[in-house]
Amino acid sequence: MFFSPKPRVEDFEAAAMPHFPDLYRTARLLAQNSAEAEDLVQEVYLEAWKSFHRFQTGTNCRAWLFKILFHRLHHFRRRWAKAASVESFESPADEASIIAEPPVPQEIRDEDVLNALAKVPIEFREVVLLADVQEFSYKEIAETMKLPLGTVMSRLSRGRKLLRQELAGVANSFGITSAKDPLRAGESA
Amino acid sequence: MNVLNFNSEQCLRVRRQLDAYLSNELLVETTSDILRHLESCPACSRELETRTRLRDALRKAAASQAPSEVLRQSIHRRLRESEPGFFGGSRRLAWAVAFAVIIVLLGGIVVQQWLSLQRGKRIVASVLAIGVSDHLQCTIKGHNYPNVANPTDQLRRQLGPQFARLLDVVQQKLPGFEVLEAHICSIPGSPRKYVHFITRGRGTILSVILTRSEGAQFPNGRLLRAGDSGSVNLYAAHLDGMNAAGFESSGYLGFVVSDLSPAITMQLASALAPPMKAALDASGGAEAGLDLYAVPPAREKAWVLFAPRFRL
Repeated sequence: MFFSPKPRVEDFEAAAMPHFPDLYRTARLLAQNSAEAEDLVQEVYLEAWKSFHRFQTGTNCRAWLFKILFHRLHHFRRRWAKAASVESFESPADEASIIAEPPVPQEIRDEDVLNALAKVPIEFREVVLLADVQEFSYKEIAETMKLPLGTVMSRLSRGRKLLRQELAGVANSFGITSAKDPLRAGESA
Repeated sequence: MNVLNFNSEQCLRVRRQLDAYLSNELLVETTSDILRHLESCPACSRELETRTRLRDALRKAAASQAPSEVLRQSIHRRLRESEPGFFGGSRRLAWAVAFAVIIVLLGGIVVQQWLSLQRGKRIVASVLAIGVSDHLQCTIKGHNYPNVANPTDQLRRQLGPQFARLLDVVQQKLPGFEVLEAHICSIPGSPRKYVHFITRGRGTILSVILTRSEGAQFPNGRLLRAGDSGSVNLYAAHLDGMNAAGFESSGYLGFVVSDLSPAITMQLASALAPPMKAALDASGGAEAGLDLYAVPPAREKAWVLFAPRFRL
């Protein structure tokens, strides 16, 4: 048909608002503070509403909203302090890094995870959040962030490792150690 | 730093794939291989458990970041305040409106052109009406011609030196027609004068009329012209039972008027117009013309496509 009906805000809310908590959590864990996260999520919803006529009912609304979120996020990020250089973390995992896994405490507090996560450079943090928290597939992440699939995989691998290292650092500072792995022949300082 | 001691290459291979396994991105066959290895390798099994635990801890920590109800309400309110864009955000509707506007504009142009064409035709008719009126007044009603043609010398004297040469043109270019009378006429009550040749041929009376234009013009519209001959534009109309063909030349308006068919009238006018123009040009045109008063200017103006300028 040549004419399309005017989109109704009720329809938009029915499709988009169920994803509000997920969007906010992701924004909160990537933004500097809660105020920025709230601004970000509001902008995402207003932008999504303005272009809702282009959204095709039945397609993945959640992925569409996250795509807008990351588009806005990149605008926000220009205002933030520059994150650690990505290139220095982009090298493929070598054998030494694979066999040298840092310990993870048995009891992990939310606060420790959040503190550790905040120390992971944002380029890795966002991929880890999309894969491990939001359970997006590699392909969906690549489309959302406009990254090659290989970059998504390497950033996810590296991001998980960095989070683990940061968490081990937090645990060590509280004197917590992991259960001993019988396969570990020895520990060196 | 912990240093692990792997006892097989298989452990190394499995650990390389643990990230993809954890994200459920492996092929079914590869997943089966890993599961088989995990059953027999406590170290890798423990590593998987650690990673799973870390991921679950991350999910739990992320879930603790709940959005406030205030934010939800704020978004709800701002969505209702904002419009989804012009035309309800529908680009198709915007295109439809643009299309409709173009159609209306094009329709307006067509109507305007049609009206201008009709107006132009009325102007052509109003100019030709001068010649028809002169013919009806002097020839038909006044019957100001003899049954036997006046001698040529007499006609030349009546025309005067300025227009005497036109007599030759009329005699030569209207084969089969005899010039019965030629004089300079005026209509009672009007200051305008005109050169009038009254001829007879093809069983009827035909007038050739010449009067000064002085600003009066046929419209230039291509669609309004009936034809052209030797770069002289010709116009035609049927008025008061007469067929008239007209042309402009050197500040004069020329008319051929008779009750002959439109085609014959045009044919005669085509033959007459170029030599008449040449003769008038040779005599200096209207600048050196006799005391012929201009036709009264018509009030109507028109504009037709391809002819941005004409007036009467």
